[in-house]
Amino acid sequence: MARVYNWQIGRQMSYWYPEARPKKQFAAVFDINKCIACQTCTLACKTTWTSGQGQEYMLWNNVETKPYGSYPLAWDLKLLESLGGQSWRENRYEGQTIFEAAPAGERVLGWKPTSDDYAYPNNGEDDCTGQVDKGAGFSIPHMNWFFYLARICNHCTYPACLAGCPRGSIYKRPDDGIVLLDQGRCRGYQECLRACPYKKSFFNPMVGTGEKCIACFPKIEQGLQPQCFLNCIGKIRLTGFISEPAKASADNPIDYLVHIRKVALPLFPQFGLEPNIYYIPPLHASLPFLNQMFGPGVEAARKTYRSASKDSDLAGLLCLFGSTESIVHRWRREGETVTGMDEKNSTLVRVPLTEPVYIRAAYDPKFQIVRTNCP
Amino acid sequence: MRLAFRLFALFAILSLLAGSACRNAPKTIGEVVAIPVSAIPSDPGDAIWDHAPEYAAAMLLQDVVDPRLTKASTSEVRVRAITNGTIIGFRLQWLDPRKDDTPGPGLAVDSCAVQLPKAVAKDLPSPQMGEANRPVEVTLWRADWQAWASGRGGNIRDLYPNAAVDHYPFQAPPLETGSAGQKEMSTRYMPAQALGNQRNGPRESPVEDLVAEGPGTLKPEARSGSSGKGVWTKDGWMVVINRKLPASLGSGMRTQVAFAVWEGSHGEIGSRKMRTGWVSLLRRAEP
Repeated sequence: MARVYNWQIGRQMSYWYPEARPKKQFAAVFDINKCIACQTCTLACKTTWTSGQGQEYMLWNNVETKPYGSYPLAWDLKLLESLGGQSWRENRYEGQTIFEAAPAGERVLGWKPTSDDYAYPNNGEDDCTGQVDKGAGFSIPHMNWFFYLARICNHCTYPACLAGCPRGSIYKRPDDGIVLLDQGRCRGYQECLRACPYKKSFFNPMVGTGEKCIACFPKIEQGLQPQCFLNCIGKIRLTGFISEPAKASADNPIDYLVHIRKVALPLFPQFGLEPNIYYIPPLHASLPFLNQMFGPGVEAARKTYRSASKDSDLAGLLCLFGSTESIVHRWRREGETVTGMDEKNSTLVRVPLTEPVYIRAAYDPKFQIVRTNCP
Repeated sequence: MRLAFRLFALFAILSLLAGSACRNAPKTIGEVVAIPVSAIPSDPGDAIWDHAPEYAAAMLLQDVVDPRLTKASTSEVRVRAITNGTIIGFRLQWLDPRKDDTPGPGLAVDSCAVQLPKAVAKDLPSPQMGEANRPVEVTLWRADWQAWASGRGGNIRDLYPNAAVDHYPFQAPPLETGSAGQKEMSTRYMPAQALGNQRNGPRESPVEDLVAEGPGTLKPEARSGSSGKGVWTKDGWMVVINRKLPASLGSGMRTQVAFAVWEGSHGEIGSRKMRTGWVSLLRRAEP
């Protein structure tokens, strides 16, 4: 094993291969507070990539309801339980990553899901017992809150699927950091299913190979956001490229949210993969639960997010989410206008910080009719 | 009276042993012996196999390369070999109380393989898939491929009879059933097959020829042509693998061979397998 630096856990760690960061790293921010679990992202992905035979239960993008929902079943709980203690000292992770905790004979600490684990996507997840007038008929640890967690492949800096594959069938593109599974080389050993802690590698029994999210790389290569981003009704997602912390640039939207304002956090950073999908944590969920899921920065991130209404820059950047199909490489706010730009600094989109509000009188004296106002 | 009974019992046991020895070919002790035959059958139950001596190969855990197999399963594979001077046939037999021939997430299928050094030489490559510039040739048989070769259909319900499927986009009008357009569209969702990487799905042969130069380097061999057939009974698998005889293995000469068995119900797949080291293989001279 090589020694590599993982900034998300604030220390060096062991990894199967030496550190080799790409020229650019595909990344994204998901604002969980805006997700309504409409699953439009799921369908956008499904209809684009996984509508074939053998892909019936394959969801490269899924939205699950936390704390009880999971796809595949208990993907997070099973690993958290086997990983053992996961303590942090400020921003340094003191426990073991899944690479460091690998048992003898294994490349990664993992587990392999079966067909049954994929059989229950989203069943009954939205029950919120706190709203039952006369009290719930049973008691569970998290009675009064839930939130939606949209998930795609994290295109990790240190992918476990890549480390777990004994054939080297998985590779990370040097140009954009997208993690791909070579369909010509894979022999269907399913080691990536076992190794990926997020369970975002799947097995296609009709084809006999593993398959996974490709970040819609044909669109990325054209400067466009992936299908699940484009079709997001809640406009919760923003695609971009993230820098290392020391090279963070304030005019890079992902850098600004992750490194500078620290309002967006990685999913289970303690696993050690340096995942590149970052989440603005939900405001109304249990802090200890979120600390386990997103690390020690949750409280500060929520405080920053709560201040967005008085913070024109943060609010402005959040307005760019879902405003254009193109990838916003740079941004700036000038007064009440936020501008998103492409890699060559050409303007892609301009968005007002505050949408103008027009209030129309219910009664129109000119035509002598009453109109119903719709928000 | 008691002595007479004992003598009778002893005589009966000896008779049984003698009869058994007559019915079965003699066992060899230290090597696999390929006997000369005029024709190579594909049926594992063909009577010709009874004439070949049986070698019982003790299986070892693959515990050298990660990921490893840490808990042993198949302890022994019984091997017989025949050759017609062009083809060499192996029949592998091992105990397996459950047939695993359905692929799926979290599932592994029963499999076996025969490995030979590419060059017949005294200086052997590592039995663990060979070494760089010192390749080994592998012929792999899989139970799910056998099912497909034996007529399993190419639809998801042929794999999972209770599968509930609403709709596939390539089955929608105006595309007609069985049309070229429909096939083209369905293939878009199967990039591995489009690249010629036929890991699963309908196929004519249950075996695949491969070449390797070390762990993780396995790739299909351009020139193949092997054949095989596996039959499962409650006693386990009996699998025939027929492949080309190494060109320089003349009559009466020796080379080495190795075997591997994957027990599907034990989750064995890829490098998680039971295997042998190199075993001496004699091409017995014609009488």
